Amino acid sequence: MAKRSTWIIVAAVVVVIAIVAASVYVFLLAPRNKLPVELWYNSDGHYGDTEDELATILKSSLEKTNRVQVTLKSDPWAVYRQNWVNQRMPVFLLGWYPDYFDTDDYVSPFLSTAGAASLGSFYTNSEVDALITQEQSTADPAARQTLFTQIQGKLADDVPYIPLFSGTAQAAYVSSVQNVYLHPVSFKWFIITKPGATELKGATTDKIISLDPASAYDYFSIEVINQVFDTLLVYEPIEAQLVAGLAMEVPSATNGGISADGKTYTYNLKPGITFHDGTPLTAQIVKDSIERVIRLDIAGSAAFLLYDVGALGKTPNIEVVDSDTVRFHLARPVSFFNDLMAFSVSAPVPPSYNQAGEQPSTVGSVIGTGPYRLTTHQADQLIVLEEYDEYYGGSLYASFGISKIPAVPKVSIEILGTATNLKQSIETKAVDVAYRTLNPDDLVDLQTRAQTLGLTVSLGASPQIRYLVINVNLVPDVRVRQAIAYLVDRALIDNSVFRGTVEPLYSMVPANMPYASPVFQARYGDANLNAANSILSQLGYAVPFHAEAVARDWF
Amino acid sequence: MARGSSLVAYAITRLFIAIPMLLILLTFVFVILRILPGDPVLALWSGRPPPPYVIEAARAQLGLDQPYWVQYVNYLRNIFTGNFGTSFGEFYRGQSVWTVIMDKFPATVELAFGGILVASVLGIGTGLIGGANRDKPVDVGVRLYGTIVWVIPIFWLGLLFQLVFGVWLQWLPPHSRWSGTDFPPRVTGMYTVDSLLAGNLGAYWKAMSHLILPSLTLGIVLSGFFTKTVRANLLRTINADYSEAARARGIHERRVVYRHAFKNALVPVVTILGLQFAILFAGAVLTETTFSWDGMGVLLLQSINSKDYMMIQGVIVFYATIIVIISLIIDVAGALIDPRIRL
Repeated sequence: MAKRSTWIIVAAVVVVIAIVAASVYVFLLAPRNKLPVELWYNSDGHYGDTEDELATILKSSLEKTNRVQVTLKSDPWAVYRQNWVNQRMPVFLLGWYPDYFDTDDYVSPFLSTAGAASLGSFYTNSEVDALITQEQSTADPAARQTLFTQIQGKLADDVPYIPLFSGTAQAAYVSSVQNVYLHPVSFKWFIITKPGATELKGATTDKIISLDPASAYDYFSIEVINQVFDTLLVYEPIEAQLVAGLAMEVPSATNGGISADGKTYTYNLKPGITFHDGTPLTAQIVKDSIERVIRLDIAGSAAFLLYDVGALGKTPNIEVVDSDTVRFHLARPVSFFNDLMAFSVSAPVPPSYNQAGEQPSTVGSVIGTGPYRLTTHQADQLIVLEEYDEYYGGSLYASFGISKIPAVPKVSIEILGTATNLKQSIETKAVDVAYRTLNPDDLVDLQTRAQTLGLTVSLGASPQIRYLVINVNLVPDVRVRQAIAYLVDRALIDNSVFRGTVEPLYSMVPANMPYASPVFQARYGDANLNAANSILSQLGYAVPFHAEAVARDWF
Repeated sequence: MARGSSLVAYAITRLFIAIPMLLILLTFVFVILRILPGDPVLALWSGRPPPPYVIEAARAQLGLDQPYWVQYVNYLRNIFTGNFGTSFGEFYRGQSVWTVIMDKFPATVELAFGGILVASVLGIGTGLIGGANRDKPVDVGVRLYGTIVWVIPIFWLGLLFQLVFGVWLQWLPPHSRWSGTDFPPRVTGMYTVDSLLAGNLGAYWKAMSHLILPSLTLGIVLSGFFTKTVRANLLRTINADYSEAARARGIHERRVVYRHAFKNALVPVVTILGLQFAILFAGAVLTETTFSWDGMGVLLLQSINSKDYMMIQGVIVFYATIIVIISLIIDVAGALIDPRIRL
């Protein structure tokens, strides 16, 4: 009897030990079956100083379920670009600044097969390609509304990108300065006024790469070009609506400027326009300038916007109708061609410009038709712009309440190396305007002390968007991409990284653009752990017992 | 052999040794840049990436589609004919490498001079005080100083100076090489020198006022090393036989320290000072960045990040040539002083 009891006790002990061991293994020692996510970000400041913080916050958002394991990786820009072309990055952070202010520029570069290959998602969907071709071919708002709604719906279904936030344009300036408009396309120094002053001093952390319209394709170079060169069409001072610049009017189907098939655009030039060197502007010069851009096709330039995106082709068909009329014949209808004619790459340059290569960005070599002349250029240190006395468009913005362009005869812009230096410049009032780019902490600090310092801090909508790219070849299961979309927490990004200075983004088309539809808000929301867990469970990504308990508490 | 001809032979030999050294360096840089990951052509488009055929056309335009050996031969041929090429990096594309270097180098030289001046005055001064007062409280203070300033993050010290002297007190400009549009006429590119050459004392003070904070920052951090070196050397020479002999002759201790021990302690320090100075010619990246000082350090950093082969190669060749020349001068000077070196 005693022997039997002993055996029962031994058996019970063995069973208990086995249960404990199994529990320990299952709940503590067994490898956690988590979804591995490799999240990449740029390491050399291409998107400012906040990138590593942004990546860290994204990692924490995705890992909240305890079913996802994020590994952060980073590289400098030249390697980063190579990585995405060679498909080494499954999930990575990117940013976008539009070239032309049409909704198409937030759609076709991302979702067309060719665009998606260039941007690293390698998404391809023939249905979406067809929708994009249709929206590019029509100017009818109702038709475009339908098409863009369908395209954004597909974006939410297939999740090759996850929109995160749209940036905020920012400027800090001394309170006596007026007319500082954070224009969504280009900052206009020539409309800023400072009562009683003959010089306006500005500062920035941006650099000038080139002041030749055929070469420039970076924010600040284009910004300076827009002060020195005018284009056929320009944007009004506050909103992103096109108005006539060098041209008499904005071509449309109504006024006969756009042909019925949408493939021919005609521009009539205003009379009496001259370049800073006195050369009169003619239709032939407009034609030669566009042909120069396409012929030179300078590496790193925006020339492909004209011959590829704008359908002008490598041998453009540009007709000089008469000395004041120029006509562009496109290979296919391009509904946003007018926007391309307002882009810096289309700015006319005089015949004296280098026809075999890039024009130097030095004083005397930069010759435009704009309100300012370039009078000083200390590379990477300073530029000075002074009024062009013969400027044709002094009253260009009169109907918008801006009586004279340029408002101040002289503008100097100091080029600084760091955001901290920019803050110091405006804080000590060494400059009147600090534009691009203050750190989020500095911005909040200046906002808080603005009254004491005698400053005004402006925040406005920026067309820049930030998003995650998901390479669909490396992450082929759409459910995984959807799970990631559910987990992103935009409010956390805004509060933790940007101190409340950015706007959450729920489509690749930002909210202030026509036809925007916040598809990710309704479909995925933010930090939706329940929905993400449901997908991850289906995919077999279990969660250890203790973590499940914690996760339940969060709900 | 006469002394003069022996020296010339020595200098020529050193020069001939320098040429293969330079060649090895050029080859090394060329190979390393092509082995490391990153594509300068892709990096050219910082915004919208163009279609692949546009990228390939750009690659051909820049000669980067050619076999490596062809690129290497072209590179060597250009360098030895004095052509540093054209940048194709994100920041300086289309610009002559030589022009950009000549634009940045004067800023670096100006900062290097300022930094070395502060470092040598502070470092030698404190080292001398410490060494002459061994184990006294002042020596402990000097040793602490040497250690602390040597480990202070240079950007932190720079930011501190900017905040205190530039923003709060507003005694000095917190950053940049110049403010305003009235640049002195360019002769050397160094604003302090060019202002003096133009006889404009107001401009000279403006240039100096911009130079003070970055020079102090760089100089203070560098001075820690000199403090320790001078002190250690002084302790050695202060107890050397010749110092003892001087004391035995009844020479006052102060005179022994300053006339005999200090002079001899300074010999190795001068060599280190020279080398440090040469190293600073490559740019002090953190100081330059903190103060928006547009010099060689930032140039090289930006070029490396954007994989601007031509600019990186140009900067390194330029720098290597300077180092070779300085080494040659030091060697020849050494040989002039000590004939045994020439043997």
